[in-house]
Amino acid sequence: MKKTLLFLLVLLVVFSTSFSAQAGGALKFAVQVEPAGFDPNLATAFGSHRILEHIYEGLLSFDEKMDIVPGLAESYEVPEPTKIVFHLRKNAFFHDGTPFTAEDVLFTFQRIRDPSFASPAASYYSEVLSITAPDPYTVVFVLKVPMINSLLLNFAGVNSAIVCKKYVESGANMQLQTNGTGPFTLKEYAAGNYIALQKNDHYYIPELPCLDTLTFVVIPEEISRSAALRNGDVDMAQIMEPLSLNTFSQQRFVIYRVSTLPYLLLGINNAVKPFDNVLVRRALSYAISREEIVEMVAFGEGTVTGPLNPSLQTWALLPEAFDEYTYNPDKAKALLKEAGYPNGFSFEAVTFAQYSLDKIGEAIQAQLALVGITMKVNVAEFGIFVKRWREIDFEAFLSLNGGSTEPDIQFYRTFKSDGATNKFNFKNAKVDELLEKGRQALDLEERVTIYQSLQKLLVEENPFLFLYSPNNLYVSSLAVKDFVPMSNQSLIMLKKTWLDK
Amino acid sequence: MEWKRLWRKFARNPLNIVSLVVFTVFLTMAVFPQIFTQFEPNRMNSAVRMISPTGSHVFGTDQFGRDIYSRVVHGVRETLFIAFLSIVFACVFGTGLGIVSGYYGRWADQIVMRLMDAMFAFPTIILALFIIALFGASQKNLIIALGIVYTPIFTRTVRSSTISIKEFLYIKAAKALGKGDFSIMAKEVLPNLTSILIVSFTTNFSTAVLSEASLSFLGLGVPPPTPTLGGMVGQGSNFLLSAPWIALFPGLFIALIVLSINIVGDGLRDVLDPRY
Amino acid sequence: MIASYVFGRILSAIPTILILTFIVFLAIHLVPGDYIDIMLGTQNYLTDEQLTELYQQYGLDQPFVAQYGIWLKNLITFDFGTSLRTGQKVSALIVEKLPVTFELAFLALFFSLVFGIPLGITSAVKRNRFGDYVVRIFGLVGLSAPAFWIGAILIVAVSGLFQDYTLFGFVSLQTDMGKNLQILLIPSVTLGLMLAAQIMRMTRSSMLDVLSQEYVKVAKAKGVAKSKVIYRHALKNALIPVITTAGIQFGYLMGGTILMENMFALPGLGRLLLQSVNQRDYPVIQGIVLFIGVFIVLMNILVDILYTLIDPRIDLK
Repeated sequence: MKKTLLFLLVLLVVFSTSFSAQAGGALKFAVQVEPAGFDPNLATAFGSHRILEHIYEGLLSFDEKMDIVPGLAESYEVPEPTKIVFHLRKNAFFHDGTPFTAEDVLFTFQRIRDPSFASPAASYYSEVLSITAPDPYTVVFVLKVPMINSLLLNFAGVNSAIVCKKYVESGANMQLQTNGTGPFTLKEYAAGNYIALQKNDHYYIPELPCLDTLTFVVIPEEISRSAALRNGDVDMAQIMEPLSLNTFSQQRFVIYRVSTLPYLLLGINNAVKPFDNVLVRRALSYAISREEIVEMVAFGEGTVTGPLNPSLQTWALLPEAFDEYTYNPDKAKALLKEAGYPNGFSFEAVTFAQYSLDKIGEAIQAQLALVGITMKVNVAEFGIFVKRWREIDFEAFLSLNGGSTEPDIQFYRTFKSDGATNKFNFKNAKVDELLEKGRQALDLEERVTIYQSLQKLLVEENPFLFLYSPNNLYVSSLAVKDFVPMSNQSLIMLKKTWLDK
Repeated sequence: MEWKRLWRKFARNPLNIVSLVVFTVFLTMAVFPQIFTQFEPNRMNSAVRMISPTGSHVFGTDQFGRDIYSRVVHGVRETLFIAFLSIVFACVFGTGLGIVSGYYGRWADQIVMRLMDAMFAFPTIILALFIIALFGASQKNLIIALGIVYTPIFTRTVRSSTISIKEFLYIKAAKALGKGDFSIMAKEVLPNLTSILIVSFTTNFSTAVLSEASLSFLGLGVPPPTPTLGGMVGQGSNFLLSAPWIALFPGLFIALIVLSINIVGDGLRDVLDPRY
Repeated sequence: MIASYVFGRILSAIPTILILTFIVFLAIHLVPGDYIDIMLGTQNYLTDEQLTELYQQYGLDQPFVAQYGIWLKNLITFDFGTSLRTGQKVSALIVEKLPVTFELAFLALFFSLVFGIPLGITSAVKRNRFGDYVVRIFGLVGLSAPAFWIGAILIVAVSGLFQDYTLFGFVSLQTDMGKNLQILLIPSVTLGLMLAAQIMRMTRSSMLDVLSQEYVKVAKAKGVAKSKVIYRHALKNALIPVITTAGIQFGYLMGGTILMENMFALPGLGRLLLQSVNQRDYPVIQGIVLFIGVFIVLMNILVDILYTLIDPRIDLK
């Protein structure tokens, strides 16, 4: 066996282009942030999700194009608008050898929906009436309202990943120990240093994963991460500063870029003066050149976005469709005059020092100054920012919001008058009505019409300003093959990645 | 003439003179930045983004097309202002606490010094971080934060000097004559502390410049768009390979400021210390 | 005599440490935003009931003074609590991270002495002559620059010039000594430079002090060779204050490692502290602050004792 592998290796070195994948190899991947706890049903930290998605799996999953594909459920069907039936895999095992069954699915969702457990995923399933398992490999979800379209995506999220009933009940500390069904197992977590994952030899897709080990090395500083890559201390790294890309020569490195779903926004408190006036909000949109911000701050590595990411061709209205997106300081001034602020006004935007938000603040500050608006940028510590955001203790803020391929998920929580993340004091009966209609409609065409009129309405009302979606950038050495970055920032395609060295 | 003699002693060393001149230039920059620059430090210009040092932009420009040289000059102003006032703050409070603690001894000394010890036993950056997180990042709060951080250093120095000064005969005499404690502290003890205070002031002034820079580097400095030297290094260090001028020049200016203060400080100590 | 002195010092240090931990506890709770806020960020979809439940689970629903009381009570049984963020024992975390920071601080101190003392001596001996100026300018130009600036430049320079040099991917001293020292070399030199300026100035003034004293003048008058005077007689005495202050500096260095650990991705105590402050991981912050505080107090006591052993004229008081 070993000999054939060696033979294959030699062959691959010789004809490396003619083979698709090669087993083996140890990949070191430099990341910026560390995980904070390993319980998939609890973790909210970005750093945790990027690790846990290799260890745990949900009933469904995403492919490279962000389409829904089978995960632990081999297939699913929707016999009625309020019913989903999952057919589970029969050949999946947890890392400790326990076979995966419907028991674990029931247990996991009971765990998620238990209010005392306080899972961030609980609210996704609040409209679920019952979950049953007619046999060990079938699970049936019955809903109170027909909202299958928006529900399905959640099954692919890390927070809905399936945990092992037997393992959890044995009293294991799920924040420290792991036992999933995913392609990799947790080998070692050296806090502040690295997280080492190891190939799961019993993965239900025998040819996956290709790598023997996958190590995430934590390097917080950007220059340090790119230096580590240049020196070969790591094979691959996430790059946050687009200009750094110029320093990696094409002869030695491969650059990956993907337009992401999360979007940067200028949040507005719609209840305070002068932002309670829609004319003022609209004036802001005309006064800001989103293109210039993308160019100045991100060196063009970003996509100006309307309420939905332009890559979602089925749903999204492109920025060109909105007059408010054309940079027009004169119109902005006219609107301000009409609203009763001919000499502009002054406000404070609170933000925090991540995702270049401070620089975006500086750019907007300069642009608004041209129409007579003074914006103070308060770069607060993250904890302070979150508290002020939660308590709606701001005039405006700059932040990054998570995005989705599903309009209901993108909009419902954020724009519904009583939405969990509607921190904008935005209340609009027409918007609420469209949100409910979009959630319950089943016909695709009908939904597209609903959500397109919603997008138009949202830009007219401007409860906050969508700015742009930053590109995610990765750089690897030439030896790294078959890595595909994804627009939801997930790294799950590393299971198909291999090393040619 | 006492001051004349001291000045001659100071001027004997050409290095002292050079450093004093350099520092004076920085001081002038801080007070009148306009006469050194032709561009607005915060004016963005998308036509000249990221250009390397040339004739019109001697230190180059940043990603917003702002002139680095103008920003560095205004950064000197911000940095010196904050460092200076924070040390004044520390000097005033530290001297007050130190004299009281050293003069009265006993429980006053115990309370003050235990508090100072507690502050000493804590990384300065984290201490300043707390204060700024608590009250928000602004010029005023930065001065207070650094001032608090540097207070224990002055308290300790002043306290130990006061303890020895207290034993001087004429102070005992003043006490015997029935002079009040406050008047003794202000009129007899304080003048004796002058030279030690001048020396501590310059030493800590230079470290305060570095501390301010570190805090701004960590993003805890004055809010944008006001330029600070440390903040510019912080924002520019990501570009160290692609556009090195953004971080190199402000860093160099920090080094030069600290260097000139250090040498002037050494010179002052040589002059004021009777042993030399 | 010494035993009772040490005992007295340690006893008087206890209120200091308690004040310290209380100030920190108060400060970190006064800063807006708590652990739960930061954990959930702006993707907070929890209902009010769920939030209340979460605060209860982490014991954060208790009033602030009660929380401090619980922490103190547990401290008596040497229970430092567990990290809110990772669920690891605080004591285990400190034990795990301490060697990294300790090694970094120790190496930095070593380099600061190696650079600082010879420069300081040269400067003092050649006082107000050309050599003094050269040494002070060259010494201080490098030494006056901010450590984070030097560190960033060194990272870029080393990774550009020596492509095989391992800068990142920390391994412990026991695992691979060569690699460990290679990785720690650049950060400890950077940190050492910061301190070397102080050591140099201290050596200079201390040397000048000793050189002006009677016995050195007598030795000179007696015709003892100049270099011998400097190195045999003067240096020995001049170094006492330098070494002892270096000992105190070691405590501060522990704090100074924060920036370096972050920049060079070293898994040390400083970075853990910064991270815990950012995450409001209260037990970890308290544990580290307590540890550093105790360490610095003990270090000060040790230095004072050393002082008296070296120089019997100084009285322990």
